Amino acid sequence: MRAFVAAWQVAFRIARMGFRAELEYRADFVISIALGVFWQTSVIVFVAVILGRFSGMAGWPSQAVFLIASMRMLSHGVYALFFDRNYYLATLVQEGRLEAFLLRPMPVFRQVQLAVFPTNAIGDLLVGVAMFAWSVSIIDLRWTALRIAYLAAGLTGGVLVEAAVSTVLASFLLRFPATSAWHSWIEELIGTFGNYPLSFFPRLTRIAFTFVLPLAFVAYFPAAVLTGRTRDLGVPPAVAVAAPAVGLAAFIGARLLWKASLRRYTGVTG
Amino acid sequence: MSLSAPGRGWRTARITALSDLLSPARLAGNAIRMTVQVFLVLCLWRALYAHTDVTAGLTRSMALTYAVLAVLMLQIRRADRFAARDHVFQHMHYGTIVYWYLRPLSPQRYSLWRGVGEQAYGFGWAAAGYVACLATGVIGLPSSAGAAAAFLMTFAVGQSLLYYLGLLTDQMCFFAIKNASVVLIVKFTQNLLSGAYAALWFFPAWFRSVSALLPFQYTLGVPLSLYIGRMPAADVWVQLAAALGWVVALAILTRLLWRKAAVLISAQGG
Amino acid sequence: MHKPAAEAQGPAIEARNLAKVFRTARRRTGVLGVVRSLVAPEMVATTAVAEVSFSVAPGELLALLGPNGAGKSTTIKMLTGIIVPTSGEARVAGVIPYRERERNARNVGAVFGQRTQLWWDLPARESFRILRDIYGTGQAEHAARLRELDALLELSAFWDTRVRHLSLGQRVRCDLAAALLHDPRVVFLDEPTIGMDVVVKEQVRRLLRHEVEQRGRAVLLTTHDMTEVERLAERVVLINHGRIVMDGTLAEIRTRFGEGWRVHATIQGPAEPCPQGLAVLGRDGATVVFGPGAENPVTVPQALKLIIERYEVADVRVAESDLEDVMRAAYR
Repeated sequence: MRAFVAAWQVAFRIARMGFRAELEYRADFVISIALGVFWQTSVIVFVAVILGRFSGMAGWPSQAVFLIASMRMLSHGVYALFFDRNYYLATLVQEGRLEAFLLRPMPVFRQVQLAVFPTNAIGDLLVGVAMFAWSVSIIDLRWTALRIAYLAAGLTGGVLVEAAVSTVLASFLLRFPATSAWHSWIEELIGTFGNYPLSFFPRLTRIAFTFVLPLAFVAYFPAAVLTGRTRDLGVPPAVAVAAPAVGLAAFIGARLLWKASLRRYTGVTG
Repeated sequence: MSLSAPGRGWRTARITALSDLLSPARLAGNAIRMTVQVFLVLCLWRALYAHTDVTAGLTRSMALTYAVLAVLMLQIRRADRFAARDHVFQHMHYGTIVYWYLRPLSPQRYSLWRGVGEQAYGFGWAAAGYVACLATGVIGLPSSAGAAAAFLMTFAVGQSLLYYLGLLTDQMCFFAIKNASVVLIVKFTQNLLSGAYAALWFFPAWFRSVSALLPFQYTLGVPLSLYIGRMPAADVWVQLAAALGWVVALAILTRLLWRKAAVLISAQGG
Repeated sequence: MHKPAAEAQGPAIEARNLAKVFRTARRRTGVLGVVRSLVAPEMVATTAVAEVSFSVAPGELLALLGPNGAGKSTTIKMLTGIIVPTSGEARVAGVIPYRERERNARNVGAVFGQRTQLWWDLPARESFRILRDIYGTGQAEHAARLRELDALLELSAFWDTRVRHLSLGQRVRCDLAAALLHDPRVVFLDEPTIGMDVVVKEQVRRLLRHEVEQRGRAVLLTTHDMTEVERLAERVVLINHGRIVMDGTLAEIRTRFGEGWRVHATIQGPAEPCPQGLAVLGRDGATVVFGPGAENPVTVPQALKLIIERYEVADVRVAESDLEDVMRAAYR
C-alpha cells in the first residue's frame, strides 16, 4: 500500500515539474488551453447542429444523445489527463529517448505518460465538465444513488476503454512507426462516432463499433443502460451493463500487450 | 550544365508521393482508411435522412453526394509530414531548417514544389475514390453542365487557396508555435469551417455569416455546393471573385512572412 | 578530375572582424512581468562573437577549436550565411554568403553535427537524386561523384535503405556525401563525427584528406576530437570567449601552449654534457628524458640525430605533448 502511495507521490511531483516547465512559455500555455477549449466546443457545435436539424436519432431524444456525447467528452478529458501521451511516443522512439526510460526504475508506460505535461487535457476537461454538468441537468432522469454510482462507473469504464485502445496502438507503434497514421484516424473516429447512439447505424457498423473498435463501451452502452434504452444494442443487456468491467479488462489486456511489446523493443537502429 | 526550372523541381515535388509509394503497407492503409471513412459517412447521413426528404435545402442524394465528396476532398491535403519528420515544426525543433537556406532552391520555391506535389498526389487518391464512388452509384454526377463548370472553376481556385492556407500554417511554425498539437487543432478548425465535416448549410445562419468572412469555405464547401446544385451555378462569379481575393491577399501575406522568417533565422540562427 | 590552381585564387574562406551580438527578450516572472514583457520587452545583449578574423586557402583544412559556448557555431553560421553578422565581413569563394544566398549555395557544402538534410522516409540514394536536381548537376557528373564517394565511404551497402532506418554512422556518411555531391569549393563541417565509432571516423578522415588533397577543397572543421585535429588539420584556430586566441599550425600551438616534445632515451653512460639545443629534464634509471633546450631549441628530428650521435642508445621513444593537455591550457 505504501509503495502505491509513494508511486503516486513521485508521479505527482514529476507532473508538477512538467507543469512549471510548460508555464515558462506562458503565452503558449494559454493558447494551448484556449485552442483545446475551442476544439471541443466545435465538436459540441457540430453535434448540436446535427441534432437541431434532425430531431433525435433512432428514437433517442436530443438530451439523451447529449448525454452520450458529454459522457464521452468527460471520459476523454480524464483519459487525456492520464493516458494521452501516445502521440508523443512516436517522438520519443524517434529520438531514441525510450532507451533511457528502459533503464529507470519506473514502469516505462508511466514515464511516457509523465514525459510531457498534459496541457491539452486542460481544455478538454474544461469543456467536458461543463458539457457534462449541463447535459445531466437537462436530462429527464431521477438520479438515484444506484444511477449515480453506475454513472461514475460508466465514466471510469469510458476512460479505460479509450486508454486500452490507445495502449494497444502504442504497442504497435513500438515496432511499426507507420502506426501513427492509424492512431490519429482512430482517435478521430472515437471523437466523432462516439457521440452518437449506435442503434442509429446499420448492423455492420454497430458490430464493428462493438467488437472491432469498442467504441460502444465508451459512452453509448452506459448511457443506454442509464436511460433504459437497452433494446437495440446488438449485445445482451447484461454485457452493456458490464461495460465498465469490460473497460477494465480491456485496459489490463492492453497493458499486458504493451509489456510484451516492450520486451521485444529493438530500439532505434545504430 | 543545369536543368531547366521544371526539371529541377519535379523530384522535390514527388517526395511525399514517393514516401508512400515505396511502402505497400502505407498505400493499403490509406486505401482502407479512405474506404471506411466513406462508408461510415454514408451510414451516418443515410440514417440522418431516414425520416426526412429535404433538410436545409439538401435532398438525400445531395447530402450524401456532398458528404462523400467532402471525405474525398480531404484526401488532397492528408499527408502526415509529422510521421515523415518533415514538418516545418520539426525542422525548427531539430534545427534542420538551416539546410533550407543553404541550397540554391530558395525555401519559398522548395515549399511551393512540395505543396504542389503533395496536393497532386492527394488529388490522385481523391480522383480514384471519385471514380469508384461514381461507379458504385454512391454519389451522383454534377446537377447540371453549368454546375460542373462552376465546380471545376471554384475547385481550381480552391486548390490554390488550400496551398496558401497550408503555407500560412507552416510559416506560423517559424514564429509562434511551440506546441505541436496546435498545428493539429488549426488543421481541424480549417476542416470544420470549410464544411468538410458537415455542409455549412446545416449550421445556423450566424455561423454561416462568420464562415463567409473567412477563406476556408472556398476550398471545399463552395465548390461542392455548386456541384450538388445547392448553390445556383450563376453564383459562381461572386464566389470566384471572393476566393481569388483571398488568394491574392494570402499570397502577399505569405511573401511578407517569408521575408520575416529569413530575418528571424538570420538573427537567431535557426 | 580538376584541381583549381590554388595560388591563383584568393582565400576560399575569409572572415574579417566578424562580430555577433544576440539580443533576446528577458523573460519575466509573475503576471505583471509577463504583461510587461509582452508590451515592452527588456532586451538583453549577449556577445557570442566579439571579433574573429581568419582565412582559409583552397586546398587547406582548418580546424576551429574552442570550448563549448566559445562562439564556434556562431562563427560557422555567419560564414555559411545563416546568421547576418552584427559587424565585419565574411566572404566565401569571393561571395558574401548572406547577401547572395543562391550563388553562395552552389559553392558551399555543409554538415551540421547530427542534423541531417536527408529526407527521412526516402532511401539515401533518392535524396542524392533530389539534390542533384536542386543543384542542377549533370547526370554523368553526378554518377561519377557518387562512385567516387561510394569508394571512400562504402555507401552502396545501405544507400537503398530509408534514412529512418540507418545507424548514426551510416547517416552521417550519407550527409557528407550529400554535402559533397555538387562539387562545392568550400565545405563546412560542424562536429560531423560526434558519436561515431572509430572505424567510421577513420573513413571520414580518409574522405576529408582526399577531398582536400586530391580535389583542392577548402574545409573548415569544428571538432572536439583531438585525434581528428592531429590527423587532419594543418592549421588550427582557437576561439575562446568570442575571440581568436591562437591561429597557427599544430606545431606552433604545441610550442606555445604545450611543454614541447620529449625524447625518452635509454642510454649507457652519463647524460652530461648535453648536446646544444637540448636539455636533460630528468633521469629514470638508464632512461634519460630530453627536452628542448632553453637557447636555440632544436626540433625532434634534429634532437634524435644529436642523441644518437652522442650517446650509445639502447632504446628511444618520442612523446609529443598530449594535445588534450595543450588545449586545456589554451582554453583557460
